[in-house]
Amino acid sequence: MSDTNFTLDYQRKEIPTKARNAGLIFTGLGLIIVVVSYIINPERTAYNSIIGSSFLLSIGLLSLFLIALEYIAGAIWSVVFRRITEFLSALIFIVPVFALPFLLNIHSVFNWTHAETVAKDAILIHKSPYLNTTFFFIRFAAVFIIWWLFYFVLTGNSKKQDSTFNQTLTKRNASFGAVFMPIFAITITIASIDWLMSLEPKWFSTIFGVYFFSGSLLAAIAATTFAAVRLDENNLFGIKIKGDHYYSLGALLFAFTNFWGYIAFSQFMLIWYANLPEETFWFISRWEGNWKFITLGLIVFRFIVPYILILSQPSKKDPKRLKLAAIWILFTHYYDIYWLVMPNYSRSGIAFSWYELGYPLLCLGVMILTFTFKAKNTNLLPVGDPKLKQSIDFHL
Amino acid sequence: MSVDYSQELSVIEGRPSFADITNVISKPLETKINRKYYIALSISVALLIWGAFCLGMTFLYGTGLWGNNNPVGWAFDIVNFVFWVGIGHAGTLISAILFLFRQKWRTGIARFSEGMTIFAVMTAGLFPLIHVGRPWLDAWLFPYPNQNSLWVNFTSPLLWDVFAVSTYFTVSFIFWYVGLIPDFASLRDRTVKKFKKVIYSIASLGWRHSNRHWHHYEMVYLILAGFATPLVLSVHTIVSFDFAVSILPGWHTTIFPPYFVAGAVFSGFAMVQNVLIIVRKVFNYEHIITLDTLERMNKIIIVTGSMVGYAYGMEFFIAWYSGNPIEVYTFVNRAFGDYAWAYWTMVSCNVLFPQLFWIKKIRRSIPIMFVLGVLVNVGMWFERFVIIVTSLSRDYLPSSWGFYTPTLWDTGILIGSFGFFFTWLLIFIKTMPVVSIAEVKAVITGAQPTHHGDEK
Repeated sequence: MSDTNFTLDYQRKEIPTKARNAGLIFTGLGLIIVVVSYIINPERTAYNSIIGSSFLLSIGLLSLFLIALEYIAGAIWSVVFRRITEFLSALIFIVPVFALPFLLNIHSVFNWTHAETVAKDAILIHKSPYLNTTFFFIRFAAVFIIWWLFYFVLTGNSKKQDSTFNQTLTKRNASFGAVFMPIFAITITIASIDWLMSLEPKWFSTIFGVYFFSGSLLAAIAATTFAAVRLDENNLFGIKIKGDHYYSLGALLFAFTNFWGYIAFSQFMLIWYANLPEETFWFISRWEGNWKFITLGLIVFRFIVPYILILSQPSKKDPKRLKLAAIWILFTHYYDIYWLVMPNYSRSGIAFSWYELGYPLLCLGVMILTFTFKAKNTNLLPVGDPKLKQSIDFHL
Repeated sequence: MSVDYSQELSVIEGRPSFADITNVISKPLETKINRKYYIALSISVALLIWGAFCLGMTFLYGTGLWGNNNPVGWAFDIVNFVFWVGIGHAGTLISAILFLFRQKWRTGIARFSEGMTIFAVMTAGLFPLIHVGRPWLDAWLFPYPNQNSLWVNFTSPLLWDVFAVSTYFTVSFIFWYVGLIPDFASLRDRTVKKFKKVIYSIASLGWRHSNRHWHHYEMVYLILAGFATPLVLSVHTIVSFDFAVSILPGWHTTIFPPYFVAGAVFSGFAMVQNVLIIVRKVFNYEHIITLDTLERMNKIIIVTGSMVGYAYGMEFFIAWYSGNPIEVYTFVNRAFGDYAWAYWTMVSCNVLFPQLFWIKKIRRSIPIMFVLGVLVNVGMWFERFVIIVTSLSRDYLPSSWGFYTPTLWDTGILIGSFGFFFTWLLIFIKTMPVVSIAEVKAVITGAQPTHHGDEK
């Protein structure tokens, strides 16, 4: 196997400190709000921590998924953006810290942890082999260890290639990526059932894992797109990113916006039509009081707005439009998880005040900080990747 | 096997000239029909005749000839319908979705698989028409004002099926036909026979390969691909709604729509792969429909097969997790009840055997992939059988439980459906170019300019 004979005249560029400072400010602000809100109202903060950590997990884990996907599909266009997904996937190390408030207050968020409640309820007794605190923590630890291992392998090989230019590493990552896929499918399903679905322990939906996956993938692509546009705007890649590269990102954003809409509609439609009380109560609780507006907003914000924003071909090639769409999609993903979680906290109506601001700010800050931290000693382009030249020259 | 990742693989092997491509693709249309073709056609027509006979008997004596009973009111008729609609999905995935994602390797197989879509949907469309029991009243499926003031039930997914399948068929057909126009023009210009010339002239709609023609063609093709993509999803989604909107245990579960779509693509790819293996051999298309292309198809088979496996797993897990004893019973009954043999056929053919495609040698071995493709289709047919029959035979009331056994007439119609499908397919390969001449020329090594102008 020949090593690549293509060497890029590449000069690593530093990300301006401006970005890091913004990250520090957001993180600082977010942290203060979270700490204060935790002292005042730990229960509400615990719910918010589920939202925040699910959001961060979405970006981190699905970025790892995108790395693996690129290797096994042999994708070329995305090689120039791969470092972005590699940096973002490091977020999976921070998620457990984000999760601390709900892990420490597991009794106030998960009804099934109360032995006396479970003992009175036949269905919860039936579920207790799965829904019990010990097994919950085992699963929690297990999925993270698995993700971390794959993170080290996939990003490690990629980084090693920067200096060795060894093509075998691409092949090895393709194999690891393929192994990762089924494991990823199972682990993300476990995480979504544990953290989100079991908030309402009697509710069940077979599509729920796919629902979380669809929204999360969209968010990860949006984060990648945003970072790509920002880096390109500041000329940090050192190469020319073409309209065709952006088109590919835009096409994925558009495709998965539709995919999310499809999955969300399928779940709603089948439950609404069959009208079984054991399933409908979950949607009814999101239709009571002013939660109705959040639910309707989800359709408009998460599906209709991005659909219109990036439907046309020129808009998929326009970095400015893509940046706007990416920010919007990241916001709607947070909104979506808020919609999944918060009706369990406040059944009567929308719960929104300064408590809810801590985690979004913290997510934003930590994402920027992680990115700038990782970018400090790693090339922004995978210079040793054999597909890089083709990727730079990519045309549709 | 070593791969050089720094070079993009060519989708067409070697560097054939444009004339070579035109010659090799139009050869089957310009040579005399040989004996092998007649043998194939007579087998296929024999199956069709047998199916037509069984169907005729059904029309004469009614659906009482079938094994359907109370409670198993849906059986082979609906199983076959779902099976054939599913087969059609791979064609649209290849020709439309992979086109939108700019996957060049689709070029060699798009025309053929899109043709299979059309014939598969035609075959599928027969079954609801038969299933209604009084096929002479099929026109009532369409809502139209009538003196009896009888209207179709707009809230029924069965009616949505009528709209979804007919729209899908129409768009697929137009998409396929638009793709054929430049090729018909090429054939028109080549042929020396007067009769053929007239036919191809009419079919090519005055195409002159002009720049302006190509410009419009590309745009129409792109737009139709954009239409076909949501349609293909809607068709199998609505087929899954036929079951999932009900409250029957084993039918009502929220994962059905994506699970059915994945399953449809899975079985369709296996069918396309099977038929292409034969076509590329018989017509010497091995450099156009390359082993690399077949390997990629096998990769899609393992991906979609694993998605189906994921859905089986989730159904089982959530059946238990829901704590609903009837759900639990349904799934235990599937795996260990009267139809356990069908269930395990389904699981092994759909989930276990395709895992062999993880091994590169198997992905590239033509005999093994052929056998695995056949097994996938067996498994996918049984999947529909398991979903429909096991759930119906054990509903909420034990006093109304039943058992379904297919009769001679049921199997005859199933066999006939294969005859119907393959007869159309055989007519297709002798009358139209099964590979897109124009599109393939665009992906030959050296056909594309290497430097794009400055954009952005």
